[in-house]
Amino acid sequence: MKVLVTGAGGFLGTALIERLIAHGYVDIRCNLRRRANIPKLEEISKRFPQADLEYCIGNLKSSEEAARAVHGVQLIFHLAAGLKGDAADLFLDSVVSSRNLLQAIGDRKPMRIVLVSSFAVYGVAELGRGAKVDEQTALESHPEWRDDYAHSKLRQEQLFWEYQRRNGFELVVLRPGVIYGPGAGHFSSRVGIMIGKSLLYLGGGNLLPLTHVQNCAEAVVTAGFHELAAGQVYNVHDDDLPTCRDYLRAYKKYVKNVRSVPLPYFAVQLLSKMLAIYNRYSKGQLPAVLTPYKAASLWAGNQFDNSKLHAIGWQQLVPTVEGLRESLGALRAEIDSAKVR
Amino acid sequence: MTINIAIVGCGKIADSHVGEIRKLTCARLVAVCDLEPIIAEQIAVRYGIPHWYSDFDRMLSEQRPDVVHIATPPRSHLALTQKAVRAGCHVFLEKPLAVNAIEGRRLIECVQQAGKKMTINYWPNFETPALGLKALVARGELGDPVHVESYYGYDLTGRFGQALLSDESHWVHHLPGKLFHNIIDHAINKITPFLSDETPQVLARAYRRRPSNDDKTDRVLDELRVMILGRSTSAYVTFCSHARPVGQFLRVYGTRNTVHVDFMLRTMLVEQFQGFPTALGRLVPPFKSSWRSFRQAAHNVGEFAGSQYHYFAGMNRLLSAFYDSILRNSAVPISYAEILRVSTIMDEIFTQVYPEDVT
Repeated sequence: MKVLVTGAGGFLGTALIERLIAHGYVDIRCNLRRRANIPKLEEISKRFPQADLEYCIGNLKSSEEAARAVHGVQLIFHLAAGLKGDAADLFLDSVVSSRNLLQAIGDRKPMRIVLVSSFAVYGVAELGRGAKVDEQTALESHPEWRDDYAHSKLRQEQLFWEYQRRNGFELVVLRPGVIYGPGAGHFSSRVGIMIGKSLLYLGGGNLLPLTHVQNCAEAVVTAGFHELAAGQVYNVHDDDLPTCRDYLRAYKKYVKNVRSVPLPYFAVQLLSKMLAIYNRYSKGQLPAVLTPYKAASLWAGNQFDNSKLHAIGWQQLVPTVEGLRESLGALRAEIDSAKVR
Repeated sequence: MTINIAIVGCGKIADSHVGEIRKLTCARLVAVCDLEPIIAEQIAVRYGIPHWYSDFDRMLSEQRPDVVHIATPPRSHLALTQKAVRAGCHVFLEKPLAVNAIEGRRLIECVQQAGKKMTINYWPNFETPALGLKALVARGELGDPVHVESYYGYDLTGRFGQALLSDESHWVHHLPGKLFHNIIDHAINKITPFLSDETPQVLARAYRRRPSNDDKTDRVLDELRVMILGRSTSAYVTFCSHARPVGQFLRVYGTRNTVHVDFMLRTMLVEQFQGFPTALGRLVPPFKSSWRSFRQAAHNVGEFAGSQYHYFAGMNRLLSAFYDSILRNSAVPISYAEILRVSTIMDEIFTQVYPEDVT
């Protein structure tokens, strides 16, 4: 059976292809936006000669290209999404692309779609400090108050459920926390915000819901092929979660000694209130990069639960200590190679 | 009286239109429209705009706006303007005017024939220093303009640059002048007020400096040099994507004084003739220049304190002036002749740098 992976050239996409092959699924159509991403997949092809990777270059923003991508497949791993840019870009890359994909599938059966959504869809701001986030947690009621990424991911997920009800395909949704690994960024916004060369360190002792890219890919494959996963949502994060403090300490030890300015949560709330008031007063002269709603969404501190994912047989492949060492080592190597250049 | 506004085209730039319209007490944003309903919906939800549409005709007939802001790619400007003015609306147009000057002329004619008003988003020309320059010229302090330099720095690693370089089907790739077509209005419209010639001589060269992507996006050139020769005034236009820091400035060399307007720092510095003899003549001017810079900085602090220092403050002034021209039935803030002249020079540039794309 041929499976389609959208966003196959991305950070999670390449890891997913490796995990699919490891599980014996070798007939894979890789949907990529740009040819420039093919060499990454060619490397995988060389390592796993049994794999039959078909490259389907096309942007899902185009209905025709979406139709070409889904032609003849019955299982789709939909990873393609906008990660950065303006709201219009994020909605085009995440929501319009998804709509085109869903329209191209129509009411074809059998069909299973595995959607990689995000933790950002949860309405965490309305929970108390320290509340547990699991699959029962209510979704964002005001994503537009949080950020454009959360807004676009929530709309994307809603769209999939709407089409699922209409067309009756099997839908499995995974909501990863912070995906990390070699090739990922330096700091999740849950740890803090970089201002120039300094880190405004806002996460403190909060748990950081990390998932190593290999562990996350393993979760996507596990849920994607599990019989009972249809119609289910799974939160994806690793078992032995570090705190933001642990992460920053390890970063300083293995990558570089970044200057960090810690702000306790009450100060974050105070600062956000002041910024929001000034933003309103000045009619947006300075952007509301922090608001009490955003602060409560990201830095109030939560507990997390991945027992539902374990219940379908997922196991963490890369322990967090090892994953962090590998990931931070890659960041250090990146800095060293930039110095040489 | 409140003017009802609608926006068609809900891409990136629409956010700035929404932001500035909402600051004006004389205007009310009633609806947005985009061919892609999801894109219209997202902006309506984010800003609490009461109505959103994917059908332009339906929006016009149901909302009956007084002004339509057209923020779509330039290929649709003429058709949308024709529909808008037929429905009785005035038009605020996102630059560039149209796909070429011929279409631009038709666009302006249709607005005039309908007895409506139109202006274009040349917002940097309504920033404080640009208005200061206009006043300086009007007072004759520069003398006659001899030469003008318009420099436009651009960051291709920014959101728009990345969007078009990572997407071979991006609408910018289908414009005759590609990236330049979407940007260089802002460089050309600063020099046209100093050129008295209707059709000055234009010499343009362009090249791609960034590494190859090995795809169709390589056709986008990213460095442009233009020399414009009029009867009594010459000009250089530079579009530069690689020099850092990214700057945008205009330098006007007059027969009496020279002025340097920095659009990034929002400063205007006049370099006056100095009368000190010998070495003193080189010693004193830097102090005078520093003092002028300090005064400009203090002025900017004042604007910041008074919440008048927004990124799109110039657009706010332009919108205000345009709506005012509608309410008072007075002249539009930018003359149509000026807009057409910019478009004609741009056509000439694109003919020289993309000869195979301009028909």
